[in-house]
Amino acid sequence: MKVLALRAAVLLGLLGVWEVVAAPLNPILYVAPSAIPGALLRVFRVGELPPLPEHVWLTLREIAAAYALAVSAGLWLGFVLGLQKTLGRIYEPILAALYAIPSVVWYPSLMLFFGLGPASKIAFGLLLGFFPVALSVLAGIRQVDRHLITVAVSMGAGPGAIFLKVALPAMSATLVGGLRAGLALSVVGVLVGEILGSRAGIGYLINYAYGLFMTAEYAGLVVLVGAAVLALDGAAGLLEARVRRWAS
Amino acid sequence: MIGDPRSLVTAQIELRDVGKRYETVSGPVLAVEQVSLKVRRQEFLTLLGPSGCGKSTLLGMIGGLVAPDAGQVLIDGEPSTGPNPRKVAMVFQDPGLFPWRTALDNVGFGLELQGVGGARRREVALGLLEPMGLRGFERKYPRELSGGMRQRVAIARALALDTPILLMDEPFGALDEQTRLLMGEWLVGIRRRTQKTIVFVTHSLQEAIALSDRIAVMTSRPGRIKDLFEVPLPYPRDLNSPEVTDLRAKLWDQIREESLRAMEGAP
Repeated sequence: MKVLALRAAVLLGLLGVWEVVAAPLNPILYVAPSAIPGALLRVFRVGELPPLPEHVWLTLREIAAAYALAVSAGLWLGFVLGLQKTLGRIYEPILAALYAIPSVVWYPSLMLFFGLGPASKIAFGLLLGFFPVALSVLAGIRQVDRHLITVAVSMGAGPGAIFLKVALPAMSATLVGGLRAGLALSVVGVLVGEILGSRAGIGYLINYAYGLFMTAEYAGLVVLVGAAVLALDGAAGLLEARVRRWAS
Repeated sequence: MIGDPRSLVTAQIELRDVGKRYETVSGPVLAVEQVSLKVRRQEFLTLLGPSGCGKSTLLGMIGGLVAPDAGQVLIDGEPSTGPNPRKVAMVFQDPGLFPWRTALDNVGFGLELQGVGGARRREVALGLLEPMGLRGFERKYPRELSGGMRQRVAIARALALDTPILLMDEPFGALDEQTRLLMGEWLVGIRRRTQKTIVFVTHSLQEAIALSDRIAVMTSRPGRIKDLFEVPLPYPRDLNSPEVTDLRAKLWDQIREESLRAMEGAP
């Protein structure tokens, strides 16, 4: 509790300093925090900007699609490579190497393939979200204690029961961590995709506001996105804590 | 024990000339060779021998976890083809509790596999945990339990299957000396209540003498049965009595040689 109070105090202090420093400076370059709520309201009330709710809705749908695809592909490939030892040995280093390449370099080619519309954003969110999920499945499978499998087999467990009652729970903590990281990256993928080139979505809006030197609106949108991502990640964190209740 | 005439006629477990070799990087290793052994109904038989003598392999064969390369394992006269949770339950040195399950749910695991309903599983598990001094710990996760408690939960999990045969692979090997003695006393009590056939693996002379009806001394690699000793003493056993001292000396003679061989031959 004390930590929370101190953290809030530090944040407020920083905002205060920012406010004082920004006050005498050019408001186009330096947005004072006090200007943000008003700007956000303006964004909501269809001013010179396209209406906000439609963009938010589009971005949410893109994220949902990207994440659903990332999870499906990641789980599928992770389990295929994790359970087939030979395939795993062939492909896992390739996967890890691909993951190490900064993903943004793929974006131009995705735009070429999928155009400026939502498809290229979904593809980019999928690409970014896929790796943590697939790699966490691989790591999770490796973490399953062989002895626990022996114990289960001695009590008559077949392959299905071993998978559902031993392997899956044993790897759940790692898996949920990967799903959480994948979600964060899918969000980043979609937003970056929108900012780099699009005609709709939150990222487009951010780019638009920024391009027209509507700096307060721009900052307001950033705060909005930040709050949404924090809330999402907080929910994922709660889920993770629940899954690992037995471990901590 | 000898009152039941069947116990004299039929062996509950029979090993017929079983053998097992493992392939290792330095070539094949003969873990067990030509072992024949009969375990009587309700008998407590201990396999005693130095580390790496194939005791665990032999126990794994009886439990259906290890397929013999040669020979046959018979349970109640029928050839064993794999784990048989209706007849055989196992306890290992590492308790192997599922860390994401509470003590209660760990004990219920085997019944869950058999499709037994939740209420019944709970009832069985509570009935087993309570007399083991684990009342109040039913909802705890394994990491919240001491080593001795974990092993008791693992034993309860095996007992929950209610099998006539219980196999124990150095179940108290990882515990400290005091806990180990107490667990031994406690096992004698369980055995009296449940009348199970127990095959117990250990490298401790003391433990073997305190618990067993019969002790099979094994040779080191390849594992064979070197000698069998009857221990016709009532429980609880006074480990300083002349009979025990005498038996310990005989066992030590047998095992000393094998332990030396094992030490020299250790890779």
